[in-house]
Order: sequence, then structure tokens, then C-alpha cells
Amino acid sequence: MKPRSLNLAPYALILPSFALAFFIISYPFLDILLTSSHQVSRFGILLRFNGVENFAKAFADPLFTASLVRTLWWTLFVVSGTILISFPVALILNQEFRGRGVARAIIMLPWAVSLTMSAVVWRWAFNAEYGMVNATLQKLGIISHPIAWLASGELAFPIEIFVGILVSIPFSATVFLGGLSALPGDIYEAAQLEGASVFQQFFHLTLPLMRPFINIAIVLNVIYVFNSFPIIWVLTEGGPADSTQILVTYLYKLAFRLGRIGEAAAVSLVMLLILFVFTFVYLRIQGKEAKA
Amino acid sequence: MKNGKRSLMIWLVLSPLLLVILFPFAVMFLTAVKPRSEVFSYPPRWLPTSFRWENFVDMWHAANFGSALWNSLVISIGATVLVLIVSVPAAYAIARFTFAFKQPFSQFLLATQMLSPILLVLGLFHLVVFCGLIDSKYALILIYAAFNIAFAVWMLRSYFGSIPVELEEAALIDGCSRLAAIIRIFVPLALPAMVVTAIFTFINSWNEFVVALTLLRSQDNFTLPLRVFSLVGGRYTVEWEQVMAATLLATLPVAILFSWLQRYLMGGLTMGAIK
Repeated sequence: MKPRSLNLAPYALILPSFALAFFIISYPFLDILLTSSHQVSRFGILLRFNGVENFAKAFADPLFTASLVRTLWWTLFVVSGTILISFPVALILNQEFRGRGVARAIIMLPWAVSLTMSAVVWRWAFNAEYGMVNATLQKLGIISHPIAWLASGELAFPIEIFVGILVSIPFSATVFLGGLSALPGDIYEAAQLEGASVFQQFFHLTLPLMRPFINIAIVLNVIYVFNSFPIIWVLTEGGPADSTQILVTYLYKLAFRLGRIGEAAAVSLVMLLILFVFTFVYLRIQGKEAKA
Repeated sequence: MKNGKRSLMIWLVLSPLLLVILFPFAVMFLTAVKPRSEVFSYPPRWLPTSFRWENFVDMWHAANFGSALWNSLVISIGATVLVLIVSVPAAYAIARFTFAFKQPFSQFLLATQMLSPILLVLGLFHLVVFCGLIDSKYALILIYAAFNIAFAVWMLRSYFGSIPVELEEAALIDGCSRLAAIIRIFVPLALPAMVVTAIFTFINSWNEFVVALTLLRSQDNFTLPLRVFSLVGGRYTVEWEQVMAATLLATLPVAILFSWLQRYLMGGLTMGAIK
């Protein structure tokens, strides 16, 4: 037996990445922990420890509750819309057909464009007077007069959800395509020999086998969409009259527009907690189902 | 001819989605080349009567596009180089060694993926003020690098794991030093993975918005997304033909790069998922 010596090489190799990520990510995290539990001046100077006062203040703000509820709808609609569209799209792109490379490249295109740029273009497209959405819909006879799409929350928010779905499709479709390409082909041959219909194959083979990939797509999409800032900020900045505010835009407004820094830190922590609980509970439930 | 019919059916099924995806690109291009009078004519029309390419020149000067392009390049390249410098050794360590800290380190990286910049933006702002780096490109380089490490290590590790360790061992037996074995054998094989990771980090940094919005103050330091946003946000009159020219110029090179890259990306993502 060789004497076990502590090999320092791997530690030296991971040190730079660990140091950088740890410093840049844990300093802000600790800062938010401290800020959320202190009374803070407008300039970010901690005055005195005040326990959960910032949280109480944030919770008492009706705008917080409204933004929280809207964030849940935003996440639910964007993620479910994305999954429901991406899955069939991935199934189609997994088939052999002419021009598949072109179709795939087009569907992946929104991924390459920054959310900010996409949102700027859509803001122009939905322009009430000169926008191409109104021009096209009027030409097709779907609407008779131009609509001010972004002037009220009732229309602007669904539009933001639509844009959110559109930009999230490429990532989810990629995850599903990866999963589909890893499915073993021979079980389908066996199923066909046994006389299973296409639908039976889908529900009894494809869907259960794709379960882990669907789970990854759901968890990652929920994290991304819950944290997504540029679409709403560029299209409406949370307005008009806070009618499209979600937690991230509300948090930004609190911190950098209204100077309510303590409350902003509290909202950050609440959001982190929500994400953490969601991920933990979801993976737990899925893990149990997989075992059962 | 059965295959042709089937392909046509598939294209028909996909067409609504493809049209909606291509719609903003059409809007972008056609607005960017329209004369100003036609951009703001009512009722709006899709096609310009004449192509006005000078819009791009006007925009370049009016929006100070050159400096924004330069800033975006410096920051994105800086962040990419930094990410590679720290992530390649880390991924190598995880792929090739067993050590006590391996599991916690992987979990730490996973956790950093959940802490997105927007949730920490207030703390990041305080950190940068504390370091005296407000309105500095260095701050953005460091922050973009830090938030891309997790993905880079994950991606690199899954590729590195697929490079047989026997190749390096053979080189050691032949009298190579460990370092020489790594440089001569491992690095050339790992190069494609590094290129993919680099391009991905570059695109992430190139497209980032909220951190730049918070930390950059002077117009001269604005990155492209911020520059374009500042042409639109909080203004009464927006020169949309210039804005679209700017988004087109800022978007096209990255979009082309990406559509070429995405097939490689898919391989890496799923390899990581299975392990």
C-alpha cells in the first residue's frame, strides 16, 4: 500500500475559479442579508439593525402583493406555454425531412438575440400608430382600427407573456432534442412488433422516457423566467401605472428609482427563498414519483 | 415522392411558429432601410419605396455606435478570456482527480446558477461602489466572468471526461512531463470544447442588460444593449429607423455565429445532463 499523501494539485486548479465566483457572488449575498435587516439611508449606509421591519414594510405594500401575484402568473404562463410549444416542435425537428437544418436554425434564432434587442423590436412592432402588428392585422381584416397595445396592462401583459414564450422556445427545444436523440431506437421496434399504435408509443414510451428532460426544462425555465427582467423593462418599464410590474422590475424600481433600499434587499431575499423552495420541492416530488 | 409530401406537411405545421419568429427580423430590416418619412407615415406599409442605406451611417454617428461596439467587444472578450483562464483548470481537476472538495465545489457552482445577477443586483452595486469601480469596464468583466463560471465548468467537464486519460498516461510513460503531456496531448483534443465555451460566454456577456444598466453611468461606457435601450427608453421622439438599424447591426453577427454553433452546444448540454 502506498502511503496516502494529500494531493494539492486539484485544489490549486479549482482555486482561481472558486475565489472569483465566491467573492463576486457571496459578497452581494451577504450585503443583501445585512441590508435587509437594517434601516438604510438613501445612499445605502446601514443605520441600525431593525430585524424584520423591512420585510414587514415590503409585505404591507399593495404593489408588492400585486407584483408577486403577477410574477406567479407570468412564470406559470410563460413556462407552460414554452413547454407546450417546444415539446411538439422538438418531436417534429427530430423527424427526417427536407430542409430540417434550415427549420432548426430559424427556430433557434431568438436565442442568439439579446432579450433587450428583441424587446426593443417588439416595442416598435406593437407601436399603436406606425407598428407593423397593427398594419398586418388590419390588412388581414382581423382588426378594423389600430389598437394601442402597450397603453394598458390588460393588453401589454399578455403581449409580454407572448414575447417571453417566443424567446424561451429555443432553449427548451434544444433540451428536448437532446433527450429525443438519446432515446433507444430498439424499444420502438419492439413496440411496433407488439402492435402498439403511434399514440400508445408516445404515451407509454416517449413521454415517460423524456420525463427527466421535461423536468430539467421546467426547473431551468422557471428560474430563468422568474428572474427575467429585460422584456418587461424595455416594453413597459412595469407600467403603465405599475400594471405590468413583476417582482424583478419592482425590486429594481425600489432600489434604483425610489431609494427604498432596505425593502429592495428584503424583496431580493424573498425571491431567492421562493426559487429555492420551488426547486427543492419540485425535485423532491419528481424524485419520489420516479421511485414509486 | 412520399418523402416530399411529408416534408411539405411538416413545413406547413411549423409555418405559423416560423412566421412569428421571423416577423421581428422582417420589421427590423425593413424599418432600418426605410426613409424616415415612410417610417412615420400613416397608415404604415411593410415595404419601403426606396432603400435608404444612409440610415446606418446616420445611426452610427447619432448613436455613437462605434464606441458602444468597442465597449461591448472589450467587455465580452475580457470576460471570456477570464472565464477560460479560471474554468479550464477547474474543469480539468473535476474530470481527472478525485478529491474531498469535489462534491461541495460542484454544488457551490450549481447554487451560483440559481443566484442570478438580477436578484443580487443591489449587492453587486454595493460591491462595485466598495471597490471604487462604478462606471468601469473592469467591474463588468469580473461580474460577467463570475456568473459564467458555473456553466463553463459544467460544459468543459463533460467534454474533458470524454477524452481518454490513457492518452496522457501513454505520453507520461514515453517520458513526457505531466505538464508537457497536458499541453501536447490534452489541450489540442480539448480545444473544440474550449472554443464552444468561449463563444457561449461571449454571447452571454454581449447580450447582458441589467448589470450594465445598473453599473454603467456615462454614455461613453455604454454597451450595445444599453445604447439601444437608451435610444428608446424615456424618450418622446424615437428615431425608429435608426434604432432598428442599430439592433440589426448589433444582432446579426452574433445570430449568425450562434446558428452555426447551436449544434455543438446541444451535444454539450445533453452530455452534462446525463452525467
